[in-house]
Amino acid sequence: MAKKDKSRQKKFDTRIDFTPMVDMNMLLITFFMLCTTMIKSQTLQISLPSNEKVEKEQQNKVKQSEAVTIIIDGKVDDKGLSKPDEGMLYYFDGMPPTGEELKNLTVANPMKQIEFGNKTGGAYPAVREILRERNKAVVEKIEALKKDWKEMKFDPNSEEKNDSIYQVKAKAIRNDSTLKRPVVIIKATPNASYAHVVSVLDEMQINNISRYQIDRINQVDSAMMILLQGKDVGK
Amino acid sequence: MGKVKIKKKETRIDMTAMSDVTVLLLTFFMLTSTFLQKEPVTVITPPSVSEEKVPDQNLLSVLVSPEGKVFLAVTGSKDSTFKSETVRADLLKKMAAEYNQAHPSAPVNLNKKEVETFSKMPAFGVPFKYIQPWLQLAAKDMTLADKVLEGEEPLSVGGQKVKLTGIPIDMNEDPNKPNEFQMWVRAAYNNDNEELKNAMVKGKGIAIKADQTTPYSVVNVVMDNLQTMKMNKFSLMTALKTEEE
Repeated sequence: MAKKDKSRQKKFDTRIDFTPMVDMNMLLITFFMLCTTMIKSQTLQISLPSNEKVEKEQQNKVKQSEAVTIIIDGKVDDKGLSKPDEGMLYYFDGMPPTGEELKNLTVANPMKQIEFGNKTGGAYPAVREILRERNKAVVEKIEALKKDWKEMKFDPNSEEKNDSIYQVKAKAIRNDSTLKRPVVIIKATPNASYAHVVSVLDEMQINNISRYQIDRINQVDSAMMILLQGKDVGK
Repeated sequence: MGKVKIKKKETRIDMTAMSDVTVLLLTFFMLTSTFLQKEPVTVITPPSVSEEKVPDQNLLSVLVSPEGKVFLAVTGSKDSTFKSETVRADLLKKMAAEYNQAHPSAPVNLNKKEVETFSKMPAFGVPFKYIQPWLQLAAKDMTLADKVLEGEEPLSVGGQKVKLTGIPIDMNEDPNKPNEFQMWVRAAYNNDNEELKNAMVKGKGIAIKADQTTPYSVVNVVMDNLQTMKMNKFSLMTALKTEEE
């Protein structure tokens, strides 16, 4: 009996307990999950006109029928911060009034105002409708193009090629000078929030507007705004 | 004979599969993660439909707090000789040279250790005359230096306590008399790292990061300053917006 006992080797359990390993891994995962940013920020490319005077003169040669000026106004709370969900939008077509027109401003004010945020229950800012209507020719063409793109008409075999052909064609339409395209001049009062300005810039992309610029608000603009507000109060 | 054998059940669960899964997840997170950059102010960027991603190298980002404080952050290239540390050290040297030229009566002379401390700072934004005491503080106590940068704690300079308010910036349309912000931007532009310069010319190398509640007047000052320096192209940092149509 004793002999038998000696010869019997102790059977080792070959299985290793993985529980502590799992514990540690879970801890590490939690750490990584808390410390990482999964979504990278996006960027919006903009280019401002240069400060040089020669170019400023050229800019002013915008065709009267094509220009749209949008002025963004916001509200500032007592901490000096703007409220991104409250704002007013002022806009007018054509060039700002000069000379005689300026005197008749009280009678014929080309400026209109509109609530910035959600227009009558719609989910998009009111500015979209204004811009879409003025850029109708381009938007319609792009939409037709988009339909073709969704059906993979440009290249049924390769999604990548289909995409790149679409991009080139879309760019050509956006810059097609035979179509009626607006030139949007974006201005913002000091009270407007940064979010307002970005969302209006965003609308340029959504509505395929290729020509827009950011400008500073001037006296004529503020005079028109004051007149418009005064009239509203009077009612 | 008729004994019913009760099978001994193993109470231990095999953790191998579980461990496999966790290791896989861990690898995924380690490979995809980019760590949160520590910033002096937390900003919530406004949403936009733009799908262009922020470049992760060769970027000068301008951080604008809602109160109008301006901070800068610089990243170098990932895989060339110009790593972030090298770029920052060079930036500080160029800035010091430019500052001393503009203020010959009160020059700032930084030693090697201070430059090294600066090269490790992800974001900065102190008036240049206070940069030396700030860097000395940062070498000793990083958390306090961060608080000073945020403006929560005052910085003591020669027995006086000063509250810092970011990089000095004002409306300045004379490129020959740059303010400190413009000096920094120019120092970044003249950096030894050509890639950063090219990116800045294209407009991808400068990004403005501002909170959505920031009044436009504050952002406008920064934009105007860049415009004065003939840097008309730049990008605005935004968050992703899902468009419901």
